[in-house]
Amino acid sequence: MRFFYSFICFTLLSISIPVISAESADKPTLNVYTYDSFTSDWGPGPKVKKAFEEVCNCTLNYVALEDGVSLLSRLKLEGRHTKADIVLGLDTNLIANAEATGYFAPHEMALENSTLPEKWTNSHFIPYDFGYFAFVYDKDKLKNPPTSLKALIENPDSPKILIQDPRTSTPGLGLLLWVKKVYGDKAEEAWEKLAPRIVTVSKGWSEAYGLFLKDQAPLVLSYTTSPAYHMIAEKKNNFAAAKFSEGHYQQIEVAGMIAASKNKELAKKFLDFIQGETFQKIIPTTNWMYPAALDKTELPEAFNTLIDPEPALIFSSDEVNKNRKAWVSEWLNALAK
Amino acid sequence: MLTVDNLKFSYPKHSADVDDKGTNTAEMQFNLDVQAGEILSIIGPSGSGKTTLLNLIAGFNSPSSGSIIVDDVDITSLKIHQRPVTTVFQDNNLFPHLDVFTNVAIGIQPSLKLTQDEKQHIHHALENVGLADFHKRRPKELSGGQRQRIALARALVRKQSVLLLDEPLAALGPAMKDEIIDLLKAMVEEQNMAALLISHQPTDAFRASKRTAFINQGKIHQIGNTADVLGDSADKVIKQYLGES
Amino acid sequence: MKAGILVALFVIAFITVPLFSLFFASGTLSGEQTASFSEIWNSSYIRRVLFFSLWQAFLSTLLSIAFAIVVARAFARYPSFPFRSFFLSLFGLPLIVPAVVAVIGIITVYGKSGWLPIGSNLYGLLGILLAHVFFNLPLAVRLFLPVWNQIPEQHWRIASQLKFNSIQQWKHIEWPALRESLPSVALLVFMLCLTSFAVVLTLGGGPKSTTLEVAIYQSLRFDFDPAQAVVLALLQLGLSILVAIIASRFNKIPDVEPDLNIKNPKHQSETGKLDKMLQITLIVFAILFVSSPLLAIFIDAARGPIISVLSERNLWKATAFSLLIGLSAATISLALSWFLLNASARASYQNKSNLSQWLLLSGSIIFVVPPLVIGTGLFILLADFINVFDWAILIVILINGLLGIPFIIRTLGPEIRQNTMKYQRLCDSLNLKGWQRFKHLDFPLLRKPLGLSAALVTVFTMGDLGIIALFGSPETATLPLLLYQRLGAYQIPQAAVTAAFLLIISLITFWLLEKIISGKTQKDM
Repeated sequence: MRFFYSFICFTLLSISIPVISAESADKPTLNVYTYDSFTSDWGPGPKVKKAFEEVCNCTLNYVALEDGVSLLSRLKLEGRHTKADIVLGLDTNLIANAEATGYFAPHEMALENSTLPEKWTNSHFIPYDFGYFAFVYDKDKLKNPPTSLKALIENPDSPKILIQDPRTSTPGLGLLLWVKKVYGDKAEEAWEKLAPRIVTVSKGWSEAYGLFLKDQAPLVLSYTTSPAYHMIAEKKNNFAAAKFSEGHYQQIEVAGMIAASKNKELAKKFLDFIQGETFQKIIPTTNWMYPAALDKTELPEAFNTLIDPEPALIFSSDEVNKNRKAWVSEWLNALAK
Repeated sequence: MLTVDNLKFSYPKHSADVDDKGTNTAEMQFNLDVQAGEILSIIGPSGSGKTTLLNLIAGFNSPSSGSIIVDDVDITSLKIHQRPVTTVFQDNNLFPHLDVFTNVAIGIQPSLKLTQDEKQHIHHALENVGLADFHKRRPKELSGGQRQRIALARALVRKQSVLLLDEPLAALGPAMKDEIIDLLKAMVEEQNMAALLISHQPTDAFRASKRTAFINQGKIHQIGNTADVLGDSADKVIKQYLGES
Repeated sequence: MKAGILVALFVIAFITVPLFSLFFASGTLSGEQTASFSEIWNSSYIRRVLFFSLWQAFLSTLLSIAFAIVVARAFARYPSFPFRSFFLSLFGLPLIVPAVVAVIGIITVYGKSGWLPIGSNLYGLLGILLAHVFFNLPLAVRLFLPVWNQIPEQHWRIASQLKFNSIQQWKHIEWPALRESLPSVALLVFMLCLTSFAVVLTLGGGPKSTTLEVAIYQSLRFDFDPAQAVVLALLQLGLSILVAIIASRFNKIPDVEPDLNIKNPKHQSETGKLDKMLQITLIVFAILFVSSPLLAIFIDAARGPIISVLSERNLWKATAFSLLIGLSAATISLALSWFLLNASARASYQNKSNLSQWLLLSGSIIFVVPPLVIGTGLFILLADFINVFDWAILIVILINGLLGIPFIIRTLGPEIRQNTMKYQRLCDSLNLKGWQRFKHLDFPLLRKPLGLSAALVTVFTMGDLGIIALFGSPETATLPLLLYQRLGAYQIPQAAVTAAFLLIISLITFWLLEKIISGKTQKDM
């Protein structure tokens, strides 16, 4: 029996090492849950980290997940025990659902500098950028892109596409809502028609866009602002977003503060920082979206050449919250056939 | 009718290919004659080369020199299936998934496409071995003796000149043995075959054969009348063997 | 013996408590947005997932078994094939090659820009089938090969005297022998394909090609829909138990380390030249099929961004995690099995055969319960109390440790039993027990199976992408999880380098553990 106890002690010891060794820090650490394209080398993450750490006397630690919807799932999975202080990367479609979890604290900020198309009224989340979903293509390779969502879906000969999973990704969810907006009750049939031309449903935006750049399909679901990246960072003018006559679905990306955070002061400071000029100026040429609190005149020249997404399509956050589950199952059903 | 002339063979040294009775690696050499209608008994210690002799005649092993002649034809270099030879083993003679009739039939024609005549013939053979009513049974439903009789029936329908019997009696009880030996004798006589019968028991040799060959260390130690070879032999080797068995 | 019973109770509790939490949850779980259970049961999505799970498992089994029979026959008929035993040990490799690594290999060979692009899209049923055949064809070949040894020599001799052609040999000699082990091997392969997670996660996973296991994962990690996860997990549990019940009717359980030498080679190849050519072609194709993904990984890795991948901190952190998890799981697995097996042997020595059987059975139930189902139960059970991601490593270690037990029971069990029968009286009279007994008696005698068990459980856990996918996160990524992320991002060159790295680390770990623990085993005392 003694042999047995010593064995138990040994095994307990050997497995407790990783658990214990995980904890240790001198400066306070602000944990920010976000999506992976935000933290990638070319994304805003590294610059934001550098700029914020200069003013906060803290360590900014990113936990990068595939995409926006995963952030919310992860938060629900971790529940009250989450280590996140800030969640950055949810969007307007998710905020009602996120708020209902009760994990987020109100931001109590005035948001006077907002340059969003509409007035921002949400009490828990702070917008940091916005954009419009669009299918992006290479003008040299695709001469006649579809001119409407209906043309894309209903013409069996229209080009193949790369999209994201609405269960993990905010663009994926965006497309789902876009189709819903245009087709209403007929959305399921629309997806069935589109299904044969979907090359892959990826978990996050970066995977799909990566595949597009490797020529795996002529069209990828992205943003109207994506071509700006190629113009500015790569000096290439051959990428464009296809303008759809029905209009483009709008996305406002937001950040929120966790109510149970042990670093609330710091978290608040970070939310403030998001609204500030430093952060906002980083966004256009790293996250390739329209900043939420920066005057249009401050945008790089290339942004003026982008397509006009009007009319902007959008569901109210409550409406999405009420129907997301049903609409996602509808999508699953259509694609599983 | 069967002549084995100066047939030489040796297993490659250190080969894993040693026969299951642990035969030694020294060179073997055989000379013998078997008449039509005769059963020659073969007796000898384990590993003496009895099975090897049969394997050489059947073509399962190839000799290094010497010849095997059947009905004045040299069959030494013929392929296994071209030789006028049929073998009955100690066990596993029958295919367990086939019924008795098919097990016999497969001896005539592996494709099992039989003429009416051939079918008649098989029934006749089964009658001969006393198992005519068993043609629908599977081997596992039969006793050991019955299985051996089916194997003999197959040998019968094959109508080959040479019948090799590799310890077909080893697994049987005494009464059963005698029954089979009698059947065997009648068969060999009727079909005028030359038969070689390996057995462990001198009593079997006495009952089955006029002549017996005693094999020791890969050579024919003595061959002659069964009574002379296995009777009150003064020969040391044979005496020792008889004492042991 | 008390210790063994405690261990058995712990193992049973560790499996059943999460299962109970699943059943319990199915009665209480309901939150905003979660559909009622009857709605989930009736949804056509679940039906489709269920159908696809069974369909892909059926097809994978059919293909694996059919090709395996043909290839095993070719190997059996041409024992003189050059480097035969080397190739047959190569066929043992898929047992320890991590599933993600194989998937990357398969993508490099058959993918769109691979050596031999086939089909329009590898992601989906086609890829899943390829990967499953890659894993199960060699396994089945190794399990089928010993069948040829059970064929009596006399049958071959009769066949050559009667001039059987190749087809007649097959019909009357080989097939009847094979038929007996066919159901058990087929069911084993079916079970493996039904519960295969990593392959379907990486090559399927789209709504069209999702199995129950992957759907469980998705409903927890994608949608956070615990109710749906519970329904799926219960379905999967039911299916596994059903397959296990059917399998228990065929009591011939295939050996892990079969004897692959052919004993009666002489007369099997006496058929025409054409037949010989056909068999050789089959062998060559099988070897190419099994080795090409592994070769492709190394070739791609050699051309890939080796320096940049190897200089990433993530890689080394993941390596450390993998090793830690693997070694800890093996330690736990061995410790638990040790007490179980000793207690069982002791009980059988004292003629308490019921207790002895019960102890062994307790260690084997995990074989029937898919680990992902236990994981889901644990998830639901623990999520209210702790942040499960903080405890990921511990949970992964424990579940993988448990998964190793049935395997260790089979490698170590007979030997421990034998030791007890031989030496228990001696030990009792010398009062040799506990650590002293382990040091002086058991360890020196059992080094060999101990080393093999430790090495296999470690390497298997290191390469596993199952539980870690459910509980892991970027902070606790192991090498397979890192690979999965690379694969998800379609960074195939980086993935190839990482895969080659994981494969090499696994092989070194395996070799070292076996060398250190097994050492020189004394034959007897």
